[in-house]
Amino acid sequence: MRAARWLLVPLLAIPLGWVLFMGLGRDPSEVPSPLIGKPVPSFALTTLDGESFTADDLIGRPAVINFWASWCIPACVDEHPVLMDTAARYPDEVLLVGILYDDTPQDALDFLVRYGDGGWPQVDDPSGSVALAFGVFFPPETFFVDADGIVRAKHYGPLTEASMARNLALIGVGP
Amino acid sequence: MLANVGHAAVVIGLAVSLFAAAASVLAARSGDIGLATAGRRAVYVACGLSAIACGVMVIALLGHDFSILYVARNNATTTPPFYSFISLWAALEGSILFWTLLLTAWSSLLLYRYRSAHPALMPWAAACLAVVAAFFFAVMTWPGDPFVSVTPVAGEGNGPNALLQNHPFMGLHPPLLYLGYTGLAIPFALTVAALVTRRLEAEWLTLVRRWTLVPWIFLTAGIVAGAWWSYEVLGWGGYWAWDPVENAALLPWLTATAFIHSAMVAERGRSLRTWTVILVTTTFVLTLLGTFLTRSGVIESVHSFTQSAIGAWFLAGVLGALVVGAVLVVWRLPDLAGTGSPPALVSRESAFLLNNLLFAGLAFAVLFGTLYPLVAEALSGERLSVGAPWFNRVSAPFFAALLFLAGVGPALPWGAASWGTLRDRFVAPALVGLAFATLGAVAGLRGAAPLLTLGLAGFSATALLREVVRAARGRSRSSGEGWIRAAWGVATRNRRRYGGYLAHLGVLVAAVAVAVSASGSVQATAVLNPGQSASLAGYTVTHRDLVREPLAADPRVFETRAEVDVRGKQVGTVRPALRDYPNSVAAIATPTVMTSVGEDFYLTLMAYDPDTGAVTLRLFINPLVAWIWVGGAVVVLGAGFAIWPGRRAAVSAASVAATEKA
Repeated sequence: MRAARWLLVPLLAIPLGWVLFMGLGRDPSEVPSPLIGKPVPSFALTTLDGESFTADDLIGRPAVINFWASWCIPACVDEHPVLMDTAARYPDEVLLVGILYDDTPQDALDFLVRYGDGGWPQVDDPSGSVALAFGVFFPPETFFVDADGIVRAKHYGPLTEASMARNLALIGVGP
Repeated sequence: MLANVGHAAVVIGLAVSLFAAAASVLAARSGDIGLATAGRRAVYVACGLSAIACGVMVIALLGHDFSILYVARNNATTTPPFYSFISLWAALEGSILFWTLLLTAWSSLLLYRYRSAHPALMPWAAACLAVVAAFFFAVMTWPGDPFVSVTPVAGEGNGPNALLQNHPFMGLHPPLLYLGYTGLAIPFALTVAALVTRRLEAEWLTLVRRWTLVPWIFLTAGIVAGAWWSYEVLGWGGYWAWDPVENAALLPWLTATAFIHSAMVAERGRSLRTWTVILVTTTFVLTLLGTFLTRSGVIESVHSFTQSAIGAWFLAGVLGALVVGAVLVVWRLPDLAGTGSPPALVSRESAFLLNNLLFAGLAFAVLFGTLYPLVAEALSGERLSVGAPWFNRVSAPFFAALLFLAGVGPALPWGAASWGTLRDRFVAPALVGLAFATLGAVAGLRGAAPLLTLGLAGFSATALLREVVRAARGRSRSSGEGWIRAAWGVATRNRRRYGGYLAHLGVLVAAVAVAVSASGSVQATAVLNPGQSASLAGYTVTHRDLVREPLAADPRVFETRAEVDVRGKQVGTVRPALRDYPNSVAAIATPTVMTSVGEDFYLTLMAYDPDTGAVTLRLFINPLVAWIWVGGAVVVLGAGFAIWPGRRAAVSAASVAATEKA
């Protein structure tokens, strides 16, 4: 019994040491998104047109998931033509999806009237839970998903034609 | 050249600390006074050497000497002198250097103060502190060398971390926090000394209590200043996010606070000795764990672990302190065993016990939440984060119970309380608490949390004030003094007790402010073209103009600011801005805060369009936030009052000195 109390020392030190040691190798900044190589987080939301939209709708062809907001100027305005262009160029090869980030449907619709509506599904995320699941900090952030529903790339900030082309190539879309 | 001086100071500092440790251990074992003096003086020398190293670094920073890598990375020719100076502690290696200075300064202060007292305890304490100092000197000698040179020397440096050069509070918050962290090594060293020498008596307990309270004051002030910094700088409208960096400071604060309370019970008998020793040890281990978790104390870092070898060193340090502490406690368990009988259920003792359970439980919960992502990733490879909602939910019941105890504990008698006493002391406070909650509901507060907080705070504040009035009335009757004089006389005769009450009142004020601001905050986002207005809860903001120009103080920094007229309960023109630093990809927000007694109007520029001048503004109305800082200041004031040397203490110190001389 007297000896048993000495067990306290390794009982305290070993688990703590192990946990902290495992933490040493971590570097969140090195991996742009922990989702890369993993399936898209599942979700079920409603589009601004009132139709249901779930993660399953992404399976079958490559998809570009764009988190944006009407208040995010000029970044979301700047990248909008790039998205429009992609939608026009690859109408069947790639599925574009816009997910609202901390925005109201009315403001988003006003934005689309002003800057152009490419016709791809725009999904409202009123509770922000999908943005949380994707680990979105600040819009615009864009995820590139292959036909099997696996996240292949993530882009921070406004998309340019070059960054769009580079990321599309990663999910098998391109000239 | 400078780098060589700094590096030499560090290496000699390591040697001197090791010598101090060895001499002190030998002195402790042999009782040799000459050796003890040598060990003590070596600690002073180590302090001088770290001061030299810090001085060298400051000179290099102010002189933009880019031959030193640390300067090249954290300074630029355009950096203003103030931010050059505080860059000493704004990045990893420099902060360890500064840390070592504070640690050795605390150690020297302790050893000098008691150079002719406590001859059994001090050599061991000196040895322990010297080992800790040697650890930091070793870190700076090998993995975290602050004086690494670079050739060829660059003409321009990278500049300070953008986030850390944006507010003068960076000059205040880290030193306060570090003074708290490093000072908590002293009670640990004293406890190690007491455990080794088996002198776990009143002598040790009194010393430890006093030398915990002083760093505790700095830690408290540092945490409050950090919350304030985050509120003024980060632009998200809040002040506490349960970020690992914040938790790292909160954890030792919780256990040290528990200790400050448990010591009062332990001093009254032989109970709670084991618990007290465990609290002191845990507090020190948690300060080291905090530095490890936050990449050795680099302030407000991103949430990642250090990439350098320093992480492994700190891991070894944390485990070393834990093992030494645990071995000593287990070894001396028989000496620590309590002799007291369990306290009566309703008594001040049991209030203290409950207080300790709550603080320890809260510390465990916060530690669990902070480490859980690591455990989960180690076990399942899954990345996750434990967010503020979890911490808020888990900590709320603890905080509510502690608020209740803040009034109950001081008003309960030692021993056992009779029903008559309870009725006498708590019926009026309970009624006041109810009245507070009712008034809050009438005034429009909604939700259980703020109303409960208001009620508990009203209850506890009344219970505390009732105690003060009771004592003052007694003195006024017997001495014939006026009320205020009598109250002051009562308070200065028992500074610990009434300083404690004042600290409790500060906590109550801050708690109400936290609860009300959290539940009553409203916010909105507005996209405005020049000339357009938006409204939120009685305030109207008008976007006048978008101005983009380099900052006058540092032309490398480009500022984009919105000139905004505010009309409402507060009126004025404010300029929330985004600053682009050459070494930062993301622009740094510079929010504006208009403070009044009742609420803050907080405005952040989130985005802008340089072509049209349109801006995206985030508006927050945060009620009572200023009272959080006021409450924090009152806590610090109360604790300061408690340790201020009173007449009795001064007299006894003088008599001790007289006997020593005689």
